[in-house]
Amino acid sequence: MRCALPEFHHDQSGFATLVRLAAETEECLFENIEIDMHATRWFDADMCAAFGAILYRLGKNLNTVRLKNIPSRIATILSKNGFLSHYGQERIPDRWGTTIPYHRFDVKDDRYFAGYIEKELIHRTEVPSMTLGLSKKFRESIFEIFSNAVLHSHTELGIFCCGQIFPKRHRLDFSVADLGIGMRRNIQQNTGLELSPAAAIEWATQGQNTTKRGSVPGGLGLKLLSEFIDLNGGCIQIVSDAGYWRRGQMETVAVPLSHPFPGTVVNIEINTADTNSYRLTSELSTADIF
Amino acid sequence: MMRSEMMISLFEVVGSPLCVASGDGQKVYERLAAAFGKDRKVALSFHNVSTLTSAFLNAAIGQLYGRFSEEQILTLLQVEDIQQDDLALLKRVIETAKQYFKDPEKFDQAVRDAMEDGDGE
Repeated sequence: MRCALPEFHHDQSGFATLVRLAAETEECLFENIEIDMHATRWFDADMCAAFGAILYRLGKNLNTVRLKNIPSRIATILSKNGFLSHYGQERIPDRWGTTIPYHRFDVKDDRYFAGYIEKELIHRTEVPSMTLGLSKKFRESIFEIFSNAVLHSHTELGIFCCGQIFPKRHRLDFSVADLGIGMRRNIQQNTGLELSPAAAIEWATQGQNTTKRGSVPGGLGLKLLSEFIDLNGGCIQIVSDAGYWRRGQMETVAVPLSHPFPGTVVNIEINTADTNSYRLTSELSTADIF
Repeated sequence: MMRSEMMISLFEVVGSPLCVASGDGQKVYERLAAAFGKDRKVALSFHNVSTLTSAFLNAAIGQLYGRFSEEQILTLLQVEDIQQDDLALLKRVIETAKQYFKDPEKFDQAVRDAMEDGDGE
């Protein structure tokens, strides 16, 4: 089987491409699948997380995946971030340090993930210098996204991460993808609410909503993330099932996709030149919180 | 005789400045719940903690509101060496937890109402 991959941006069109690929290959078993990338003139590197998740699922179904005709500029980026090491190519050094490596984690790998974030995002000189407040908020956001995947996805196939730094544009993109049950089914199973995929994402980003039942409360993670993105001037995109949701410049878009993504992708775009202090306007007292 | 307050250091329990994983929060919760079960006062130290998530705080502290009364928690728990923005996050986690445990049916109804008011697709 041969599938062509067009330009691959980290936007609605990129996710539309990805879910088409997932749908075309969904039934494949014991097949040789060639992803033809001769027309892939652009590939946003953080999309390796979601792309890698789809390809990993194909491998799990005992298919052999080969990436063919990769334009050299794209092959270089995908070799630097370690993505192509999964598909038979050597990793090459990232001299400018603008990639945040592609990694697959299991849900129990939270310590390993913390180490990855420390090594690749916190202690790296290439990461654009951010104010202390922004740096902390950014770290919290990344961990909130990963925790969401751990707590809600029920994935058995792992959590996939990748990022890219654009120093001149003062931008940092980071994506987390899982191959879990997706937000719509999770909400349906835990609350009984029947929502469209896009409405399910909208629901999950509201502060008081949670699918958590039992002894540990929940429901804040994605709300906190959206609030941070609004202040930062960045953007957050979520794809889950056949829903696409984006928030940026204080505006939200929620639309259906032609096919489902077999899990959830959360992707953030951070404005690294943000100078907000993220300090509180009034002091809180430890005596007043319980 | 007045019992002395015991101290729990998040850094010591988690073993890192990154208090981010729900599983690590659960370890903190188990220590707090065991102490509260014996009516012991606890000072919970956030010293050397660099990053917190709502998932960690929900498991470590939010969960307490399902087992102990607000009055018990207010009397027995004290937080120390916590940065102001972390305190703000903890306050939101606690407010959500109180709402969650106060009336789960009402919490579910709030969820449904939110959807009816929302614009969906």
